[in-house]
Amino acid sequence: MNSISVQFEGVGKHYSDFTLDNISFELPTGSILGFIGPNGAGKSTTIRILMGLIHQDQGAVRVLGHSMPEEQAAAKLDIGFVSEDMRLYGAATVGWHMEFIRSIYPRWDQPYAASLLHRFDIKPQQKIRGLSHGQRVKAALLLALARRPRLLVLDEPTTGLDPVARQEVLGELMAVLADEERTILFSSHNTLDVEQISDQIMFIDRGRIIDSDDKESFLDRWRRLRLVLSPDAVLPRFSGIVGVGGSGLLPVLTTNCFEPRMVSECRNMGAIVQAVDTMTLEEIFVANVQSRREGNLV
Amino acid sequence: MNAAMVKRLIVKDWYLQRVVIIGSLVAGALSLAVIGLGGKPGFILGLILLVTVLIGVGAQLAVATMVFERKEQTLSFVMSLPISYKEYTASKILGNLIIFLVVWLTLLCGSLGAIAISPDKPFGLVPFVAIMATEILVSTCLIYTVALTTEHQGWTIGAIITGNLALNGIGYYVAHIASIARGMEGHSVQWSPAASTLLAAEFVLIVLMLGFTFLFQSRKKDFI
Repeated sequence: MNSISVQFEGVGKHYSDFTLDNISFELPTGSILGFIGPNGAGKSTTIRILMGLIHQDQGAVRVLGHSMPEEQAAAKLDIGFVSEDMRLYGAATVGWHMEFIRSIYPRWDQPYAASLLHRFDIKPQQKIRGLSHGQRVKAALLLALARRPRLLVLDEPTTGLDPVARQEVLGELMAVLADEERTILFSSHNTLDVEQISDQIMFIDRGRIIDSDDKESFLDRWRRLRLVLSPDAVLPRFSGIVGVGGSGLLPVLTTNCFEPRMVSECRNMGAIVQAVDTMTLEEIFVANVQSRREGNLV
Repeated sequence: MNAAMVKRLIVKDWYLQRVVIIGSLVAGALSLAVIGLGGKPGFILGLILLVTVLIGVGAQLAVATMVFERKEQTLSFVMSLPISYKEYTASKILGNLIIFLVVWLTLLCGSLGAIAISPDKPFGLVPFVAIMATEILVSTCLIYTVALTTEHQGWTIGAIITGNLALNGIGYYVAHIASIARGMEGHSVQWSPAASTLLAAEFVLIVLMLGFTFLFQSRKKDFI
């Protein structure tokens, strides 16, 4: 078995108003990658290239051992794809869609599909146009999950869902994570969703990957140091500081490579370290984007 | 080319458009019944009804299965399936053409049958009927080409209007070509060089349009 499910090498795509620039990353089999970026950052473009729906101008893409977009038909036999802008046929029923997908995918798991119907409170005889937005997303997710794909690609699936529907969708995703052979790429601009299910995190902004690491490392290495300076003290400066906030005598340093020595270095420079705060993924993401845009990180 | 997958996509479109398909077949049968009533008024009325059904079903299926696929955002669902764009294109053209050809052949056979059972046996009309029936096929293929390559409602409506205007213009033009017009009055089929050339040109045009559609689709880089 190929241990790398998705591989991007120097992938680029140019539009008149947007450029996806030199995207390179690898997604090991069995991992869950949270793909985070603001609206218009390039998440959907990257995912569409992954699916073969748009062709890259340069670079190489391999998905489940298949070269994309040339071998997209073979690759998509093992991919479950749900995107925020994907719609099912409004005039057809959920049951018709299930039968249609079952006829295509040999690994379709009917008992699992039936259990998902029950869990999502959807009836096979319901027409898609009669479903709420949340139910439509769940129906699309059911069709993707019950085909038992090796790779699950979810492009902002929780966008527009109410909190209850969002938790149901995330809950089901967490349940499928038990399968260690299944690789998941989950894109969202909602960091809370990503934080719940991902073990790898990748940030994208303005068409470029700006940071990528496993989730725990992200949470470990990003910190905020809240300092109190005496009037004659100098603001401590050392490598790894990506942002300075707060006010003159009460600065807040943001670091992306926290080490305990930083605390002692601050004290040596005459500052009082009031607190060392951990950061949420959302705070890390915002700080990361801002510091890149301000040129503090390259 | 994955033939099984193309077949599934065709059956899917037929299922989703079953009301239009069944409706057009029923309307086509009714038109034939009107033709079968006999007499010139019945023949003309039935023929007009049949041509209307034919143009209607060609345009409606193209818009519903090709243009609306993008407009209603079901294209990303279809393209997430294990298919290439070549298979998608083949399924759209074949699925629509098969349905259209059923009604088209009904029109052709019905018209020829009406000529055959007519008391004055105007077989001289056969070249004209063949050219005009094929022109309807050309117009429909034009609609498919435009609908698939642009996936745009406005352009497709433009193609429908163009095809309809061309049908009337070509009908007038063909009826006034001396060698064809002379034969139309007769009781035997007379294939003049002009009639044969026109018919051949129509089939070449169909092949060129469908070939262009496949070529254009295979070179497309952005599908969503």
